[in-house]
Amino acid sequence: MNTDDLIDELGRQATPASPLPAPSWRTAVWMLWSVVYMVVVAIVMLAGTSAAGITITPLYLLQQGAAVMTAITAARAALGSVIPGTAAGLWTRPAVSAGVWVALMLWNARLDARAAGTLGIASHTDWPCVASMMVGGIVLGGPLVWMLRRGAPLTPRPTAFLAGLAAVSMANIEACLLRPHAFASTVLLWHGVTAVVIACVFAALGRRWLRWPAADRSYLTAR
Amino acid sequence: MDAPDAADAHLSHLMARAQRGDQDAYVTVLRAITPRIRQIVRRRRAFLGESDVEDVVQEVLLSIHAVRATYDPARSFMPWVSAITRHRLADAGRHHLRHGVREVAVDDLDVTFPASTPNSSDETFGDPDALARAIEALPSGQRQAVQLLKLQELSLKEASAETGLSVGALKLATHRAMASLRRALRDTDQ
Repeated sequence: MNTDDLIDELGRQATPASPLPAPSWRTAVWMLWSVVYMVVVAIVMLAGTSAAGITITPLYLLQQGAAVMTAITAARAALGSVIPGTAAGLWTRPAVSAGVWVALMLWNARLDARAAGTLGIASHTDWPCVASMMVGGIVLGGPLVWMLRRGAPLTPRPTAFLAGLAAVSMANIEACLLRPHAFASTVLLWHGVTAVVIACVFAALGRRWLRWPAADRSYLTAR
Repeated sequence: MDAPDAADAHLSHLMARAQRGDQDAYVTVLRAITPRIRQIVRRRRAFLGESDVEDVVQEVLLSIHAVRATYDPARSFMPWVSAITRHRLADAGRHHLRHGVREVAVDDLDVTFPASTPNSSDETFGDPDALARAIEALPSGQRQAVQLLKLQELSLKEASAETGLSVGALKLATHRAMASLRRALRDTDQ
């Protein structure tokens, strides 16, 4: 098929295609879903016994705020990266937000070490939080990937990594609410490594999940 | 407003109409941007032949068509087109590299083994009528796959374009057809 014929055929195939809402708006929709999920988790938690023992301090709130910012900026960057011509500075905001979260955790770990005389890294394992973050990563990451699939998969792996980072940042908050942690270093190590692994899994699957829509020539010949 | 901005605004306006389903506006936009896409492809892939350039241009047009909902009429149009073109060029480059590494150019050798038996040019099935009947007896999808891929020797991509079926569906239909033919011809032999 020569290019002129292809253009004519595409013209015949041109059904209405409403422009996607702005990435910020789509980010807000995804955050709304995340909040619903968090509320459900909180309700389930309150029905059980595991919520006891969490001490809300300003530093704790700052850490959770940084995690929320990481989620928002990563989701916004991911959703922006599927809009051609708007992906400049893709990594900056999520990187800064994640950096702030890590810095706050390190600061908290330093305070723990001063108070308790130990970082507490080997004090206990944190497998329940790993499981919780994996579930959260799937529940929150799935809809985000679905939203991304409506866009142009210009950079599938970085886009999927950002989606994973966004999902797991929110899942981290859920895991922090799920059970109290005596040492910030435990959170940094277990939650941090889990977050990186889940985001990397998303990135590895990015090319599989985010493909150009079935735009090979097959449907063009449906004359 | 200078000329490039005016041209961009015009294309943006047409694309907005295309997004609402205006086919004439869409064709006008595609015709207007095709020379620019071709220019970008030629500039960035100077080593490509004309037919390869057209292949990439068509891939870009198909991609634009597939993601036309991602265009926001409030933004400039050509940066949107250029971004798609750049990324599709990079994809085409990666695809070319991946397949180039796997493929080895060989001469068209007639002889495969020193002995004469395996080099017989008479490799047709013993009973062409039985083969024709067996092909006719296949379900239509399988028959079509065999005719295009085995008899007409089209590539999967070409056959896909011809039939509207996906490459995967064609592979599956061919696999099933060959299994059915083997069974049918074995029964004929016996």
